[in-house]
Amino acid sequence: RATQKATSKSGWLFSWLPAWCPTSLLHLKEAEDRMLKCITSTYNKRYVYLSNGNKIWTLTFSPDLSHKTPLVLLHGFGGGIGLWALNFEDLCENRTVHAFDLLGFGRSSRPHFDNDAREAENQFVESIEEWRKEVGLEKMILLGHNLGGFLAAAYSLKYPSRVKHLILVEPWGFPERPDNAEQERPIPMWIKALGAILSPFNPLAGLRIAGPFGLSLVQRLRPDFKRKYSSMFDDNTVTEYIYHCNVQTPSGETAFKNMTIPYGWAKRPMLKRISHLDQDIPITVVYGARSCIDGNSGSTIQSLRPNSYVKTIAILGAGHYVYADQPEDFNQRVKDICDSVD
Amino acid sequence: MLDRERGWSVSFAGCGFLGVYHIGAATCLQQHAPHIIRDARHIYGASAGALAGAVLVGGGSLAEACADVLALAKEARKRNLGPLHPSFNVIKIIRDGLMKNLPENTHQLSSGRLCISLTRVSDGKNALISNFDSKEEVVQALICSSFVPIYCGIIPPSFRGVRYVDGGISDNLPHYESKNTITVSPFAGECDICPKGNSANFHEMNVTNTSIQFSLGNLYRLTQALFPPEPKVLGEICEQGYSDALKFLRENGMLPLYFFEKKNGYPLALQEACQEQSGFYAQVSKLFPVRVMSYLMLPYTLPVESAYSLALRLVNWFPDIPDDVRWMQEQLCQIAGTVYSRAKSKLFCLFSLDQPSCCSSAQFYNANTLFKCWGCWRRRRATDFFIFNIMDWCYLTLTCVCFMFCPCVSPALRERAEPLRDLPLNATRCAPGVFIRSAPPPLATARAP
Repeated sequence: RATQKATSKSGWLFSWLPAWCPTSLLHLKEAEDRMLKCITSTYNKRYVYLSNGNKIWTLTFSPDLSHKTPLVLLHGFGGGIGLWALNFEDLCENRTVHAFDLLGFGRSSRPHFDNDAREAENQFVESIEEWRKEVGLEKMILLGHNLGGFLAAAYSLKYPSRVKHLILVEPWGFPERPDNAEQERPIPMWIKALGAILSPFNPLAGLRIAGPFGLSLVQRLRPDFKRKYSSMFDDNTVTEYIYHCNVQTPSGETAFKNMTIPYGWAKRPMLKRISHLDQDIPITVVYGARSCIDGNSGSTIQSLRPNSYVKTIAILGAGHYVYADQPEDFNQRVKDICDSVD
Repeated sequence: MLDRERGWSVSFAGCGFLGVYHIGAATCLQQHAPHIIRDARHIYGASAGALAGAVLVGGGSLAEACADVLALAKEARKRNLGPLHPSFNVIKIIRDGLMKNLPENTHQLSSGRLCISLTRVSDGKNALISNFDSKEEVVQALICSSFVPIYCGIIPPSFRGVRYVDGGISDNLPHYESKNTITVSPFAGECDICPKGNSANFHEMNVTNTSIQFSLGNLYRLTQALFPPEPKVLGEICEQGYSDALKFLRENGMLPLYFFEKKNGYPLALQEACQEQSGFYAQVSKLFPVRVMSYLMLPYTLPVESAYSLALRLVNWFPDIPDDVRWMQEQLCQIAGTVYSRAKSKLFCLFSLDQPSCCSSAQFYNANTLFKCWGCWRRRRATDFFIFNIMDWCYLTLTCVCFMFCPCVSPALRERAEPLRDLPLNATRCAPGVFIRSAPPPLATARAP
């Protein structure tokens, strides 16, 4: 049904003309199916419909293990549920695992987000809350990577009663932009000018501009993704999935851009607000030892919440995509955390 | 991190002139945690990283290497075209520096421990060299690993009879097991020892194994890799390597217990090596009017200087001429052979093709098929289309010219080729022997939801 809708919307002329970016929801669906092909555990996938007409693409693993608090996975910027392919099987061994494409990403609806950072964040958080109501979860263990980590924290701030444990994997948007940006080595004027010219664009605009060359651009710039998932696929499945996730109409991407200030810092950094979080919610911060995102956020959160449980875990040999770089290690750690909950 | 049983390795990324960063980092490791280098299974390196690794393992002096890199940078900046000036012979300077700096038994020290990443010219694949019979072999492997094509020269150097170029082209950060390899890179990214920029951007690119974060600082560093900045800036990069390595040691609890001093103990030898010894000539040539003059004189001085340096290189080239000429001949023959065989197969294909797939390139010669293949074409990767079909069109033009002007083409053949244009769409076979079209493309089935 989704594919029919998509093709009818684009009109006869556009469906006949070769598209500049060779992508469609059908492509994305196929790429995702290939990503999930190797998973042997049973799961069901469906759209969860929200009140305002949006729908959220959801995967549920081991739905019958409802006596334990379910684990909910929030993917990061530019990703989708498919990227958790190396983790589902281990994580769903003795607990229900839900994963969904965030609003504005992957196969979920791509609505227009507010230009205001606060409003956009609120839209994300409300979509998570509505999704929870619709799925019928009372409490959950919330795990977020990158942007998902930021949103998980924002959600926990607003709906603390729903979160039993907050797991932040390489979270984005925690530290504030340092004021002493000039203290580093001076950068020539032309590079600064280039940065200023590029900053109004969406982060992945280049991918859409590249059009038919986009896929080979992703393969050229990120050959490491293929390596990360080489235990599962030896072809370009992952890069194709990432490509089709990101060249669709930008929606969540624009929202993310509106939530950032150059270069990559959050407009409303989470470290400023995390002290208001309910003291009873335990937090675990997982980061890759090699990642360029600062691993110090964990200790800063600890110092901001002196009376609460905050633990920092560094995973050796892993970069930003911890769960794909060292999947066994990551899965084990997350399972331990979940077991500590119930 | 350092697991005694499984062992560990250290890997230095290729980075051109930013190699001073490695020297800073290596000095720190040697000073505060000498066991990391001493007990490492392997020291990997590509390009400048291999040079740093060779000095570190092969018993050279790091301070002297630092001074060498700075002298090289000064040499590159001396002329107004920078490192692109024809008289700047980077390979020779590196070779002389290494011969001077490395001890005579360096091949014994580095055999089995130093792994140099090289790119084979013939197939573009990566090769790791780790055993050496003599000091000359070590130096030659390092030269091969540092040879950036076009920037350093046209004819690639050879190691044991095989031509190699810069290792960074195929694998810039060689390592086997990523979990217990300490990676060192002067670009901010996903490495153990690397500068942490003031950017929270998590977007990065991965260039032959080296991860480089998208940030302004990294863009600047990339430009510095082949076009060196002022010696003062290089000195700062060296110092940053030192402090980043120190930070790595501190975060992983590898600093010795006695280490509590506030100052980081940046060695004096490196400071001295980084200091600019400016003579009278350097002072004068920095003045603005002198620089303007030198640019104005460029059209006159450049040919003279080029001729002089060319003559010098020619003299140096004499012993290698027979080898190099033979290699060039082989390459030419190979290229000509490939072009010939491809042209032959294409032309042959045009006359007797019977290809099963709907989008076989030969079918584009027919307008009807082109129209019909539209949907299929959309699904084809555009890059393929542009690369192969421009070639195809060239072959087609060539064939058309043959058809029109060549008197030896029989009229019958020409007649058979002509009705192609108004072929019914559903025809599967138009005429025996000419332009056979396969079954209609599986468009309908493929596009059904």
